[in-house]
Amino acid sequence: MKMKWSVDLKGTLSPLKILNAFWQKPNTIAYPAVKKETAKGYRGFHTNVLKDCIGCANCQDVCMNDAIDMIKVDKEYNAKNSSQCIPRIDYGRCCWCSLCTDVCPPDSLKLEDDYLNVTKNASDFLYMPKDK
Amino acid sequence: MLSAIKNNFATDDIIVKRSDLYKVSVTKERVFELISFIGNNYSYKVLNAITCTDWIEEEHFALTYIITTLDRKSSFMVQTMINRNDAHINSLVNEFAQAEIMERDLHEMYGINFLGNKNLKELSLENWVHTPPLRREFDTLEFVNKHLTFREGRDDNLDVKVEMKRIRAEKKAAKELAKKLAEEKKAKEETETEENKDGK
Amino acid sequence: MENNKHITIFHGPQHPGITGNMSIELDLVGETIQKATTHVGYLHRGFEKLVERRTVIQAFTIVCRICVPEPDPNEANFAMAVEELTGLEVSPRAQYIRVMVLELSRLAAQFLWMAGQSGSIGLYAVGQWAIADRDLILDLFEELTGARVYHMYIYPGGVRRDLPEGFLERVSKLLLYMKKRLKDYDDIFINNASFKNRAIGVGVIDKDEAIKNGYVGQVLRACGIKADVRKDAPYLVYNELDFEVPTRVEGDVYARALVRRDEMDQSIHILEQVVAKIPKDGNLMTKIPGHRKFKLPKDDTWVKVESARGEFAYYMAGDGSENIRRMQVRGPSLVHAYTLLEKLLVGAELSDVALIMNSLGICPPEIER
Repeated sequence: MKMKWSVDLKGTLSPLKILNAFWQKPNTIAYPAVKKETAKGYRGFHTNVLKDCIGCANCQDVCMNDAIDMIKVDKEYNAKNSSQCIPRIDYGRCCWCSLCTDVCPPDSLKLEDDYLNVTKNASDFLYMPKDK
Repeated sequence: MLSAIKNNFATDDIIVKRSDLYKVSVTKERVFELISFIGNNYSYKVLNAITCTDWIEEEHFALTYIITTLDRKSSFMVQTMINRNDAHINSLVNEFAQAEIMERDLHEMYGINFLGNKNLKELSLENWVHTPPLRREFDTLEFVNKHLTFREGRDDNLDVKVEMKRIRAEKKAAKELAKKLAEEKKAKEETETEENKDGK
Repeated sequence: MENNKHITIFHGPQHPGITGNMSIELDLVGETIQKATTHVGYLHRGFEKLVERRTVIQAFTIVCRICVPEPDPNEANFAMAVEELTGLEVSPRAQYIRVMVLELSRLAAQFLWMAGQSGSIGLYAVGQWAIADRDLILDLFEELTGARVYHMYIYPGGVRRDLPEGFLERVSKLLLYMKKRLKDYDDIFINNASFKNRAIGVGVIDKDEAIKNGYVGQVLRACGIKADVRKDAPYLVYNELDFEVPTRVEGDVYARALVRRDEMDQSIHILEQVVAKIPKDGNLMTKIPGHRKFKLPKDDTWVKVESARGEFAYYMAGDGSENIRRMQVRGPSLVHAYTLLEKLLVGAELSDVALIMNSLGICPPEIER
């Protein structure tokens, strides 16, 4: 498989069209002056409306990575919450498949479009969904 | 073609799964004869895959050879059962060059010995000394609990069914206590009214 | 065997041209390869064992991670296997949406191939352009499915969400842009004299051996065989769409590159038809029981789709309970990385290793799942 150098005028000159890129609009955006918008419906972090959550643990049952714990915290619960527990998610295990939001009966668990969680402490990954 | 196979191999259970997929199950002794038969007579000459399913309850492995025609329009699943303990079968490397890598994969994952394949070395796992992983007796949860440690911080997980029962029992006990107290109070008030009436 | 002339080097583990982690042990005399041995194992995550402890719907979420450049054929295969075992029907609107997702994913994977192939011979500018153009397709996926790479969208029974407002207009606009842009790639990459001089005559594959040994995809199409699952065994609605299967006869790296370039044109043509023909209404998902009650019968099946690299097939067996008894993944790269690569590299030069690996379309995550 030796290279044979043959005269190929078209093949040598046509790549010079790349010089046109000097006059074209760049493909990149001028971050941080312009930030990219996340699309609506992006699967980011969890949110849980506490006055609707009934503590049924359907989300814990369907999560195949065992990422959800049902715990008691010192907050204002729904009176219909029959187990007085709410979900907390381990982001070291979650894969953001959103099956937990699909099986939530009162539709209180949802995903928002935030996706940044930067910390030096590994236990900060046990994330309590925001109440909104 | 199906009647020819039925006559020659004395088997009745040829399943037509789709218009382009057939399946037949034969004994270990006759499986290579069947593969040559459909290859020479009906152009099923391309080996696509060798798969294995572990039926631990019935104590055998179901080994399936999936073979396609030269024009890729029809496939045949040829299945045979082999023993789970000391699993071995002849290799197909002389007929199909791609069988070497497929048999190597199954040897590592199930422990099946393919007689005649000289390249049954390790593929994905390195220095693995426990049971071949895809066998059903290899329990991944038990293995992980024995060899790895979990990170702390998740001990406050509660079982919702236990909690619901406990809360219901507490509410019931509280209700009965309230009822008892109300009855005692009512009885006490009645006694007091009686005494007052007598006292007058 | 001559004395004092052989050296063995370890080429890896690395991604030569965005393939994936794999290494090759090479036996060299000077710079010519005498023997090659492939080593994989850096990406073994144990999918086939993980699936045994999960129910069917729980397993659907991990299947897309088996192949990184192109996750959607995995989801489509899994959904088709479950539907065939349990007899679920999929509505026409969901089928058209599935075809759209699969073809967009194929375009994105071909851009990734172009980035890798140009990087392996030193034309890095083309690589940067290709990744930027693939990003525009990932933007479309982000608004349709909620994630850029691992979509988890093609569900057994249909698809998970409806099309957003104005989505089909955005797809049409992107297709017009792509048609214009691909002409730039022709001038700068495909007709480039240095690419032709490096690629013509390198990695030639024999036609009869290719059919017999079970090679798939562009390897067969560049040898002159019209092999495409969408035509040989049509699935979804491909029998209602009009497209061609491009072929060449030389069987070398340049022929495979030309075949891939023609396939990108055909993908754009299919997408234009889908956008025009998609039914306006219809339900998106057939109802299935709750995940602990959805049982598979004691039966097995073999399904396949055409991915950007070749024929991708799944074997699935159920045992009457809600768990899957066995799911085996047969990707296109298993035979290409071992049987074909070890044969092609004998006699090649060391600098051609990355070039040949890229043109075969080897993706190590699907070899060792």
